[in-house]
Amino acid sequence: MNHGRRNIARLLAEIGVAVGAAIFLLPLVFLALTAFKPDREILHYTGIAPAHPTLANFREVLGNPEEIPIARWFANSVLISSCVALLVVTVDSLAAYGLARLNLPGKRWVFGLIVATLMVPGQILLVPVYLILNRLGWLDTPLALIVPAGAGAFGVFLLHQFFLGIPRELEEAAMLDGCSPLGIFWRVVLPLSKPALATLAIFTFVGSWNDFLGPLVFLDSVDKYTLPVGIALFQTSYFAEYGLTLAASVLCTAPVLIVFLIFQRHIIQGVALTGLKD
Amino acid sequence: MTYRRWYGYLFLLPYLALFGLFLIVPLVYGLGLSLFRWEILSRVPPAFVGLGNFHEALTSDNFWKALWASARFVLMATPLTVGLALLIAVGLHSVGPKRQALYRAAYFIPTMVTISVAGILWRWFFNSEFGVFNALLNALGLPKAPWLTDTGWAMPSIVIMTLWWTVGGPMVVLLAGLQNIAPHYLEAASLDGATPWQRYRYVALPLLRPVLFFVIVMNVIGAFQVFGQTFMITRGGPELSTRSLVQYIYETAFNNYRMGFAASMSWLLFLVIVVISGVQARLMREK
Repeated sequence: MNHGRRNIARLLAEIGVAVGAAIFLLPLVFLALTAFKPDREILHYTGIAPAHPTLANFREVLGNPEEIPIARWFANSVLISSCVALLVVTVDSLAAYGLARLNLPGKRWVFGLIVATLMVPGQILLVPVYLILNRLGWLDTPLALIVPAGAGAFGVFLLHQFFLGIPRELEEAAMLDGCSPLGIFWRVVLPLSKPALATLAIFTFVGSWNDFLGPLVFLDSVDKYTLPVGIALFQTSYFAEYGLTLAASVLCTAPVLIVFLIFQRHIIQGVALTGLKD
Repeated sequence: MTYRRWYGYLFLLPYLALFGLFLIVPLVYGLGLSLFRWEILSRVPPAFVGLGNFHEALTSDNFWKALWASARFVLMATPLTVGLALLIAVGLHSVGPKRQALYRAAYFIPTMVTISVAGILWRWFFNSEFGVFNALLNALGLPKAPWLTDTGWAMPSIVIMTLWWTVGGPMVVLLAGLQNIAPHYLEAASLDGATPWQRYRYVALPLLRPVLFFVIVMNVIGAFQVFGQTFMITRGGPELSTRSLVQYIYETAFNNYRMGFAASMSWLLFLVIVVISGVQARLMREK
């Protein structure tokens, strides 16, 4: 009796969850299908599927590199996001190792300060960072988006917690063999931390790829834009041409979704870890 | 020996350099900036005005209107986002692992969509003339709704879009929290004859409280900084009813080039967030 009721509750829960999941995917299905519609079908909604599917929108978006340098934006985004991921993983893993394993004077205090900045809202840094970048002459260059991204505390915190979980015996054995701290870090700790490093790298890459406010404020020339800001430009320049805008949106979103589907486990793990600070 | 102890700081050096230059310095610099009148494009040199910028903000209708728009967004978006995230997490918790991963991915995917794409998409859904929502309402024989064109409707519309775009993050955290609860607590409750509702309400939820609290605080901090959604979908309209404080700060700094005034409003928003987080922490401890 009780068992039967629990099964029914379980079934109802799963139906609810499945319907909700379908609703959450629906907007993206709309996006993907509508990008293949001719303009008049978009302006007079007749149903979710295109009656006369066409590649015209994609052809126009990709065929005008002078007006719509979408390949350029894509290349800019790839360059910036890759550099940010590489920078963050490098400096954060070094710092986290020092904080987790080396006997440094005052390191508790330093770690406390770094973790405290996790609570600082990013908007407060916008104006001063803009002025600092201006003084460095980095505005309207990829450096403006790459270098400041290395200051975030999340990766240091994440890797610090991970390194604490590595058994000390391994490092002690390496030390007895005459390994320096840098050697231990490179040959023992990093190889054992591949999953955590991958999580941080992917997480950082996607965050940088999707960043909007940063490139909006720090970049000026259209050919320096990243994809998200370039796409936003559509809204003002090609306001009435929804077909073009949606095709460009599909081209911007597809790479992220592919990365997500491949590295799903790492990405979701990264998000989950931000909430469980044990 | 002292040399050997300090030598380890070399590991921290690259990070601390970036942390100092792009986090600590901007924080302090921003506070200093807020005490100056500084129009970056004019030839007038920056002038110290003390608390003048703060006074100007606190006596300006624009500031209060923008702060109220952000606060309204928080009041609607945070309870709905966290509530929906909890509901989905509890639902997912009872599903077998393979299908759970599948559904979880479906709820999480929208958070991977960059705001300009999400904004373009929803602006089209909400469009009064040829938007999808009004087409569907029309098909059902219902009148068109002024999703983005009416001051009463615009912010709730933004909140609906935000639910779709952001619920995945808190949902994943809460689900991980539920999975961290040792199964024997829930099993023991079942053996005592608790219904599924009772198990969640009286066993899981109290154990989840620290995670739930963390999710709420982080969501409030994030929601107070709302910018992308309103900037892309309504541009702050109609009649500035959805112009958030961050959008106003953005416009002050980068359209009107008033750096000092923008910095002072950034700090005011920071103070609001600190006070509210503090009150939340207090409430949490008292309970």
